[in-house]
Amino acid sequence: MNVLMLGWEYPPHISGGLGTACEGLSRALAGEGVNVTFIVPRAFGDEDARHMRLLTPDSVVATTRRIEQVGVRQVREPVEVIEVNSVLRPYQTPEQYLQARQEFEEREEPVSHVMEALEHGSSSVSRTGAHYGGDLFSEVRRFATLTTSLARRLDFDVIHAHDWMTYPAALQIRNTTGRPLVVHVHSLEFDRSGEHVNQDIHRIEGAGIRGADRVIAVSHYTKGVIVRQHGVDPDKIKVVHNGVTRAEAAQRYHLQAEDDRPIVLFLGRITYQKGPEFFVRAAAKVLTRTKQVRFVMAGSGDMLEHVKHMVRELKIEQWFEFPGFVRGAELEKWFSLAECFVMPSRSEPFGITPLEALACDTPVIVSRQSGVSEVLRHALKADYWDVDRIAQQMLAVIRHDSLCADMLEMSSRELLRLHWRAAAEKTRQVYQQAVAG
Amino acid sequence: MPSVCFYFQVHQPYRLRKLQPFAEGASDPFCRESNAGVLWKVAAKCYLPANQRLLQLIHRYEGRFRVAFSLSGVAIQQMEEYATEVLDSFKCLAETGCVEFLAETYYHSLSSLRDPVEFRSQVALHTDAIQRHFGQTPRVFRNTELIYDDRIGELVADMGYRAVLAEGADDVLAGRSPNFLYRHPARELTILAKNYRLSDDIAFRFSDRGWKEHPLTTNKFARWLHTHSGSAELINLFMDYETFGEHQWEESGIFEFLDALPHDVLSARDWRFQLPSEVVRDLPARDALSYGRTTSWADQERDITAWLGNRMQQEAFHALHELGPRLRERNNPAALALWRKLSTSDHFYYMCTKWFADGDVHAYFSPYEGPYDAFINYMNALDDVRERILGDLPAQENA
Repeated sequence: MNVLMLGWEYPPHISGGLGTACEGLSRALAGEGVNVTFIVPRAFGDEDARHMRLLTPDSVVATTRRIEQVGVRQVREPVEVIEVNSVLRPYQTPEQYLQARQEFEEREEPVSHVMEALEHGSSSVSRTGAHYGGDLFSEVRRFATLTTSLARRLDFDVIHAHDWMTYPAALQIRNTTGRPLVVHVHSLEFDRSGEHVNQDIHRIEGAGIRGADRVIAVSHYTKGVIVRQHGVDPDKIKVVHNGVTRAEAAQRYHLQAEDDRPIVLFLGRITYQKGPEFFVRAAAKVLTRTKQVRFVMAGSGDMLEHVKHMVRELKIEQWFEFPGFVRGAELEKWFSLAECFVMPSRSEPFGITPLEALACDTPVIVSRQSGVSEVLRHALKADYWDVDRIAQQMLAVIRHDSLCADMLEMSSRELLRLHWRAAAEKTRQVYQQAVAG
Repeated sequence: MPSVCFYFQVHQPYRLRKLQPFAEGASDPFCRESNAGVLWKVAAKCYLPANQRLLQLIHRYEGRFRVAFSLSGVAIQQMEEYATEVLDSFKCLAETGCVEFLAETYYHSLSSLRDPVEFRSQVALHTDAIQRHFGQTPRVFRNTELIYDDRIGELVADMGYRAVLAEGADDVLAGRSPNFLYRHPARELTILAKNYRLSDDIAFRFSDRGWKEHPLTTNKFARWLHTHSGSAELINLFMDYETFGEHQWEESGIFEFLDALPHDVLSARDWRFQLPSEVVRDLPARDALSYGRTTSWADQERDITAWLGNRMQQEAFHALHELGPRLRERNNPAALALWRKLSTSDHFYYMCTKWFADGDVHAYFSPYEGPYDAFINYMNALDDVRERILGDLPAQENA
């Protein structure tokens, strides 16, 4: 099985969990014998991609081998017209033609919608600056154009696209190559922006999801949102929970902080989606019971200033630290130093950070409005708005070593089951279904 | 003359509310609505219909059918509070003279494992309640969840009991049959060992369609009993009373089974039903039986890890008992009763992580989302006792 994977970021150059998930999944797929060609808008040279072929849209690929393979394929599947975007095929009955015409139009519809949305989005880019820098829509369009022409020179059985930025490219490639498309929904515009949904992004998401042959959702929670918001047949969507790669480096960080007060950690983008204000409000309640604690909020985002302001207003800034955006070793350091990791997200399709925290032996509190809460039983859970409950849980983790020890002992067994291998196995089944039609 | 000895456990804990430590003001930590609700539900499905059937059977067989009960004090107390008709139906059974009530701790607690003083107090409270409601003084003891070992045997014998009920665990019996009486190695105490295979055939497997013996008829079950003729002196069938109608639903035919069983058992010559105290009076103890480890009737392991197996349970148990001497010293009956309600074993059972281990979620009765919630809520309740009753400063470090 050869898969053409389209992603938007790849470790170590990541802004969130998407790149991490792409790395974990592609590695495990390689282990399952799947050949992965991964196209990402930019490569920086320090990506570790030994398990697959990592390309950027302007990569130069050798075409000699490709020509032979195309030849073989054309012999094997003589009716498959790859280069020409047409439904006319030899030896068709009128009925077959009509059916093909209909399928073609259904397939075309998403592409034209996507292009429209991209046009519109580019012309109104000022509204989208919140989550993505620069003229994102232009970048998405550039990626789509270049990747589509690159894909003509590649050999693959199935297209696998991660999140909306790659959907326009994926839909075009599906159109030009006839290869089946699997879109992988790691997050939705709804999750990121709540009520302030960018309609262009929402349309692109919808077109990608409807135009795909199969959809992978990272949680039942997300599957539910997709079905509700995009009116897609639930049977087309398969839930594949993310895995976790146990960080071996974590062992190095059994450091003691210079100060022995336990750390309660928030780590992630400080944006509306992540519910940072609930962390602050819960912290304020905890501080009515104990002052022997530090609250660390690692990350950056458009709510950072607001959150800092809240902390000042509540007069609790002496218990707070804001180390900014962290990654790599720094990230593992905070996970390892913390007594407790809290993810109070408003809407989290999956949420891989709690798994990373657990891999560093740090117990977690997660919002029930997250996909990860479906797979973690040995975690504390609360509705993100239930500040009293979150505060109780923070206090309990700080105070009771027995609670932490039991949760970690149980979750370490649970994490073994949440390996990327399981995700890769399910993903491979989705490929097979997509290829089988 | 082989005897069948039936004993049924009746127990309902005082379940805690979801406590709100950040809210102002004090309130009852126990959830009246849910406790009354559970009691009414179980009464309708089990206690009332099953008691009615037992009463009919006792009358029908004119004393030849008899059963023993152990009702925890907290179950009796909740019947008094929420459903006196249930308590009355047990009184009707008591009046037949064919029903024996066993001794246990009033609060269905684990105090035998930690605090002998408290244990004796709770057993005395229970005896008072049985005398008051049923006009009997229990002579035979059964500990919470059949928890037993040699040390508990000594404790019980020294309190004047002649006999105790225990699990017929394979490793303890070491090849011996549970179908005879045994004695404590060092005390005048007779041991009735549960025949867990035959007991669990009714209690756990009755409605299991995957079981090769399903459906279990009284004819078949009586035949299994009768194969022991000549090789057994008694068969101890010990189970939760909720087996009838609650664990095994009415639709499974469990009540019809109960109805027809005495006839089929008594159809063989020499077989009879006897109460624990009658068995102890009539049969000899055949051997000394030492319980070198603490057993219970729970799980495959027949041990106490369902209550005290993980660190949370141990921390909570320790924290509870640390408060004991201080509360007894205060000698305030309301405070003591509150603390004792927190000693009920169910609170610790809810914190068990064993079943949570390998991805299979065992259905078990807990008012909580999971063991961690149970622990946090319980520790909040203990904090509340410390702060409101003992007047400790709120657990605020370095204010």
